[in-house]
Amino acid sequence: MTDTLPDSRATARWLKSATNDWKRPMQVVGLLTLADALPAIGFAAGLGWAMGRAIDAAAGSTPVLSAVAPGAALAVGSLVARGLLAQFAAGQAAKVAGTVKTGLRQSLAPAVFVGKLSDGAAMTAFIEGIDALDGYFAKFAPARFAAAIVPLVLIAAAAIASPFAAGILLFTLLPFVIGMALTGMAAASESRRQFQAMERLSGLFLDRIRALPAILAFEAEGSQTRTIAGASHALAVRTARVLRVAFLSSAILEFFSALSVALVAVYCGFNLLRILPFPAPDTLTLGKAFFLLALAPEVYQPMRRLAAAYHERQAADSAVPALQALEAAKPTLDRKAISLTKAPAIAFESIAITYDGAAPVVQGFTLDIAAGQTIALVGPSGSGKSSLLHSLLGLVPVGAGTIRVDGIALSAELDLVPFVAYAGQAPMVVPGTVEDNIRLAYPAATTRQVMQAAAQAGLSGDLSRVIDERGGGLSGGERRRLGLARAFLKPAPILLLDEPTAHLDTASERALLPVLKDVARGRTTLIATHSDEIARLADRVVSL
Amino acid sequence: MKPPVTSRPSIHDLIRQQEKAQFGHLLAASVCAAAVAVAAVVLLGLSAWFLTASAIAGLGGPLVAKAFNYMIPSAMIRLLAIVRTAARYGERVTGHNAALHALAALRPQLFAAIARSDKGQSLSSGEASARLMQDVDAVQNRFVRLSAPWGAGAGIAAGVITCAFAGWPVALGVALIGLAYIVCAVLLAKRVTQEAGRQVRTTAGQLKDTLSSLSAAAPELRAYGMSSWACDRVNADAVPYVEAREKLARGTAWLALVQSLAMAASVVLVVLTTASGSAALMALALLSAIAVLDACGTLVGAIGQRGEVEMATARLDALMATAKSYRADERVQSYIDIKGLSPLRPRSRLGICGASGAGKSTLVEQLMKLRSAPEGHLRMGGHDLSRLSPQRARSLFAYAAQQTHFINGSVADNLRLAAPNATDAELWSALERACLDVRIRASGSGLAMPTGENGNALSGGERRRLGLARAYLRPAPFLILDEPTEGLDAATECEVIKHLRAHLATSGQGLILISHRSHPLTLCEEVAQVSGVNSDGSVKLTVIHAHKNSGTQSFAI
Repeated sequence: MTDTLPDSRATARWLKSATNDWKRPMQVVGLLTLADALPAIGFAAGLGWAMGRAIDAAAGSTPVLSAVAPGAALAVGSLVARGLLAQFAAGQAAKVAGTVKTGLRQSLAPAVFVGKLSDGAAMTAFIEGIDALDGYFAKFAPARFAAAIVPLVLIAAAAIASPFAAGILLFTLLPFVIGMALTGMAAASESRRQFQAMERLSGLFLDRIRALPAILAFEAEGSQTRTIAGASHALAVRTARVLRVAFLSSAILEFFSALSVALVAVYCGFNLLRILPFPAPDTLTLGKAFFLLALAPEVYQPMRRLAAAYHERQAADSAVPALQALEAAKPTLDRKAISLTKAPAIAFESIAITYDGAAPVVQGFTLDIAAGQTIALVGPSGSGKSSLLHSLLGLVPVGAGTIRVDGIALSAELDLVPFVAYAGQAPMVVPGTVEDNIRLAYPAATTRQVMQAAAQAGLSGDLSRVIDERGGGLSGGERRRLGLARAFLKPAPILLLDEPTAHLDTASERALLPVLKDVARGRTTLIATHSDEIARLADRVVSL
Repeated sequence: MKPPVTSRPSIHDLIRQQEKAQFGHLLAASVCAAAVAVAAVVLLGLSAWFLTASAIAGLGGPLVAKAFNYMIPSAMIRLLAIVRTAARYGERVTGHNAALHALAALRPQLFAAIARSDKGQSLSSGEASARLMQDVDAVQNRFVRLSAPWGAGAGIAAGVITCAFAGWPVALGVALIGLAYIVCAVLLAKRVTQEAGRQVRTTAGQLKDTLSSLSAAAPELRAYGMSSWACDRVNADAVPYVEAREKLARGTAWLALVQSLAMAASVVLVVLTTASGSAALMALALLSAIAVLDACGTLVGAIGQRGEVEMATARLDALMATAKSYRADERVQSYIDIKGLSPLRPRSRLGICGASGAGKSTLVEQLMKLRSAPEGHLRMGGHDLSRLSPQRARSLFAYAAQQTHFINGSVADNLRLAAPNATDAELWSALERACLDVRIRASGSGLAMPTGENGNALSGGERRRLGLARAYLRPAPFLILDEPTEGLDAATECEVIKHLRAHLATSGQGLILISHRSHPLTLCEEVAQVSGVNSDGSVKLTVIHAHKNSGTQSFAI
């Protein structure tokens, strides 16, 4: 994780391109927010009208209530209209934000399952990262749109009552905007660090909960709790800093707007008292003065709302790098599947497999496998047996050399996966029944086929029993058998088995031998194993 | 008979404790909130009065205007604007400081509670992380909003006093509208936002669960071309979550509409009750009334978020409810009795074999109290295991599980889980006994070599040996090794067994060893076969090899 600040403009560009599909509904929300200017003017006008008529009525001793009524009605009507409009706009904004988030999640979900990012990072980006965009689309983007236009519209309305007062408002707008920009920049850097602290704490929780059995077994709860307390405290300190900057900036803006309103008020008051120290540029009535005074804070309101929503933008800015990483990890969509109709020949041509800067696990590995052959890969643990199997799945970084299947070289764009049946060392279990779990390998399978595969793998018991994500109710051996049942079920011309009989006792292993021989028939099979019995099944034994 | 359990603290106790700890900050926030509300109400009322009074004075001609004192009100207005700004800053900073400190203290306490809880084992990591991050964040709002009622109360009080200048009916009316606004918000929150808030929490947990279980299985998903299936499942779980958030946003927008309507009602009220009086006082009442509703708005916002906060608190409490704290009982003596087998004394060595799935691991997980055991089958130091706290039981064992778990850190970090104060030399010695020292040295970074998430940087055999090294480091009376040589080639297995034999000779530890291979079992003087698990959860055991007197040489290779 780098400590560099995300470039705001670059993240804005990314957000724009990532959300291009939803441009129209976003514009509609912006227009709805903009429309708020009309009832705002209506309210100020109603108030001014009512007060102007009230003072005239008092002077002319006509009934005040009937004089005030039309203005008051306009003010009340504007308030109700404002409320309804705001309610509608907020609903629409929430809807658009929801649509955008769902769309982004749909497009980024494949990247979560390619194993290129750590689980914690992928999960934080996918859930919190995308949630962080919620405020950007529901609040910040419409607020930014409104802030650019509404003040000018309101100042134009003010100019009808008093061009001079409108001039004051226009003049004070400039320092206000500069102040906003400065405080925004200060907050951005703190915000990024806070997001990192949050990511770190979240990852720490995820990791320590996963490792809880070990922590408990070694009575290390205390030391791990202290680690978490440290990260938790760091997050509090970071967040406090971000918030202090944000609060200070909003206080400055509030003060600025109060000052500007006061300036308008002083002008109006002195004008009404007719004691201006300079020749009055226009003659105000109480009605006009009230209109101006009610309108003045509204001029700054959209920008204060924008400033309040600014942390939404920062949250989005901070989340974008993680989302970009997720996007970059997305598997290539147009991977073409190689086409196989029968067991192929496979050739490894001086393959090297190197993980992240470590020493190569496999180097210069060359092997020609004839179509339909069964190969046993043997060798000490860590010699790269599993890595070679994974290389056929496109799961490991092949640094050098070429793998050819029926003469065709595999690449990032060429996929072998549809033609591979695989049983790994740590078979996955998804919440559901045993049958569901087996069927995952070949969804088109009939119940009879699933039962046959389970029987072949020696998976006894009720296939309709439910197991949870941690494989509750399955022993290590049963898990292994579940993985085998999957591989047996999938009618693929290539069969890869990684330690198929580990976790099985000798009797179980013996029982499995004829089955393995049977399922390997007509397939090109690679088995990584420590067992001599299994090695004897193979046409060739390759030592690593 | 139940184990001696002392009363556990609830989440509410912890929150109360933090409220006490943060009393200073919270008090300051409340005082500031009240100051903000009072300043805002008086500021708006006074400005309106001042403007109208000026106009009236202006109409009276230059003499009246000159006599009108505009200095004091305008100075007051400036002062109030400054007070309002400063107090709002103060309220936000102190309120959030209280909240952040409280959260920083709550999170580790909750982690400790999860670790102590029976559920800790079954809780998926996604769910746990959701609780510790989002739920605790939701509780943050609770702290921040504690000052809101004070602000609303002070705002209403200030509104009543300023409006009283325009007459008691309007003052009373303004107070009633303010209260009605709050009541409406409470009702609306109950109907809409609380339910939505609850849904946001539950659906977020569900989504995280799905995501975490699926992303752990990435390699197989790839192998079976199931990535798109997994994406569909995740997206299906994301829909209700997004919908719940949308519903919550809509509910919050309803609260804004209620505020607008309350303001409209205030305008009507003020016009009707004060039209017969002075125009300046009418203006004063009009704008104060609007400011009062603004002051109540913060409280209404807090009410709107209450559903989410309550839900989060309830979930955290449910989590803590499963945590048990046992009375500190005296040290358990290192005698273990397993029904049907010879008693295990210090230096005893028991081998356990059996078909895969028969329940070998179940037995040791029961001994470790990672799984519950029926009464009357297992005893430690003369006590029935069900009466002992997990801590007491675990203190007897150094355990290398079949599925080893690692924290995301260095090799040293993981080894020091077992021995926090071990020196580097001691760590190397343990690695050597586990036949892993060569591999770790070759990595170039030595003990600082990262193990990756869940030990992913290591191969299966390496993980197993690192787990073994970790067990060697813990000076407990018994070593429990679950399939220590699984996944190792024959030569490495021989080495590991040789070192294990030597280790046992020097450490004087007892051994419980699970293996379905014959070679490791040669270390054991008694070997029992597991042939299944009874309906009460106890494990079926048969002694297949007992050789009381010949110690470690009982089994021929």
